[in-house]
Amino acid sequence: MSTGWSLWVMFLVVFNLGITLFLFLWGPWVKIPTLPDGTSGHIWAHGALREGVRRLPRWWLLMSASMFIAGFTYLALFPGFGNFKGLLGWTSHGELARNVASNNVAFAEEMKRFELYPVEQLAGDPAAQQMGKELFGDDCAACHGRTAKGNQKLGAPDLTDADWLYGGDGKSITASIHDGRAGVMPPWASLGEDNVKNLAQYVLSLSGSPYDAAKAAAGKPLFVTCAACHGPDGKGNQALGAPNLTDHIWLHGGSVADIEATIGGGRQGHMPAWSRRLSDDQIHVLAAYVYHLSHRDDATP
Amino acid sequence: MAYKHFEIIEKNVGLLGILIAIMVSLGGLAEITPLFIEAHAIKAPSGVKPYDPLRLAGRDIYVREGCYLCHSQMIRALRFETERYGHYSTADESVYDRPFLWGSKRIGPDLARVGGKYSDDWQRMHLMNPRQVVPPSNMPGFPWLADKKLDAAEIQASMRTLRRLGDLYSDADIAGAPAAVNGKTEMDALITYLQGLGIKNEPTKTTSAEASDGGQP
Repeated sequence: MSTGWSLWVMFLVVFNLGITLFLFLWGPWVKIPTLPDGTSGHIWAHGALREGVRRLPRWWLLMSASMFIAGFTYLALFPGFGNFKGLLGWTSHGELARNVASNNVAFAEEMKRFELYPVEQLAGDPAAQQMGKELFGDDCAACHGRTAKGNQKLGAPDLTDADWLYGGDGKSITASIHDGRAGVMPPWASLGEDNVKNLAQYVLSLSGSPYDAAKAAAGKPLFVTCAACHGPDGKGNQALGAPNLTDHIWLHGGSVADIEATIGGGRQGHMPAWSRRLSDDQIHVLAAYVYHLSHRDDATP
Repeated sequence: MAYKHFEIIEKNVGLLGILIAIMVSLGGLAEITPLFIEAHAIKAPSGVKPYDPLRLAGRDIYVREGCYLCHSQMIRALRFETERYGHYSTADESVYDRPFLWGSKRIGPDLARVGGKYSDDWQRMHLMNPRQVVPPSNMPGFPWLADKKLDAAEIQASMRTLRRLGDLYSDADIAGAPAAVNGKTEMDALITYLQGLGIKNEPTKTTSAEASDGGQP
């Protein structure tokens, strides 16, 4: 605030408190002309109502006095009197910084302990699981669901199974969270509608799902194109994030229509990078929690 | 002063009213006027630019659909908010928001820094029907946004209006608006707006304390 506005605020505070304090101190002592019958002589309704003169009640005086004391104390301790910072030097930002610091101190010891363990080992730690669960609920559940079962409509993978697009070891999970992932399945509608349908049947055959043998046989030679990413046997490629097509786990749905849509229209997967929002410590804990989700039956380390 | 002076006030209701009005306005004069006048002097930090046409259109849709009735865009300086949403909001981040959309109802999460938190596809599915991605959500769906194309003339008109208010749009910016929004739906615009919220203007730690505390008294 500029000095001019600071003076403006100071003037208003002094003016307001000055008038009210003067009235408070002087009001009780002012001499009120009183008639012999104890009234002020003010009458209403042709004398039916007359104004009595009484001292202010003690409770009222005490209440007012305490209000003035509270007001002056506040202006002395906290910012409010123009640019005067207050004797306590309090600011909302300072309080936030203190809260964050004390919170960090409360967690520092545990975080230091967490850092000692690799993700795979930390996954068995109940305290890390609890913290990871909170972070997961805030940040990951929107796409992967509160139970981490994923969302096929969005192409968000199930995190509770043993199938991993980009690798399920601690390092890969940490990298996925830290930097995000961008999965791209190009559209193959240019192959023609029949070929897309044939390919879809062949893809179904890879995982042993029910399929149309004739169409699958016709689609098989076309799979050469797909093999570039999904591998010649359709087992996928974690370096590219190309899903394994031989299991029964489907990222975008495993019905004939879903697979045809995936081949014909392509798919875009987008896992946002969390390095900007979460600290490395938090990502470490979160990675451990995600690792724990698919290793729940393992003995704790 | 003596009692007769009080008697004058007591017996003249007009004078009493005027004096009461003066006394009750003191608080407002002290709290509102300095911030009101000084708000015009707040400059945009380097990361904050006037909205490009598509985001501007998205902002208008955000206002039209009343998103601010459930979502605030103001992260308070409280630990449980800064941990969840990021750095607290500062006044200089909103210099190009006319009107500002800070909001006060927090039925849904704060959106001041939601940009980039979710993918575009997530935003689209969520706006079509929030239950598709967040089963317990009570947010209404906005599927009609996907069917409506943007009106370039309207966006140009609002850019011209904002320029009169001081936003730095060049003639080329305004002339380029139809190309920028060509073929885009209202859904696209709203998603682009949401994905840009708070993404470039998070205050750095060194400047936040003094330079951008928004005229805190």
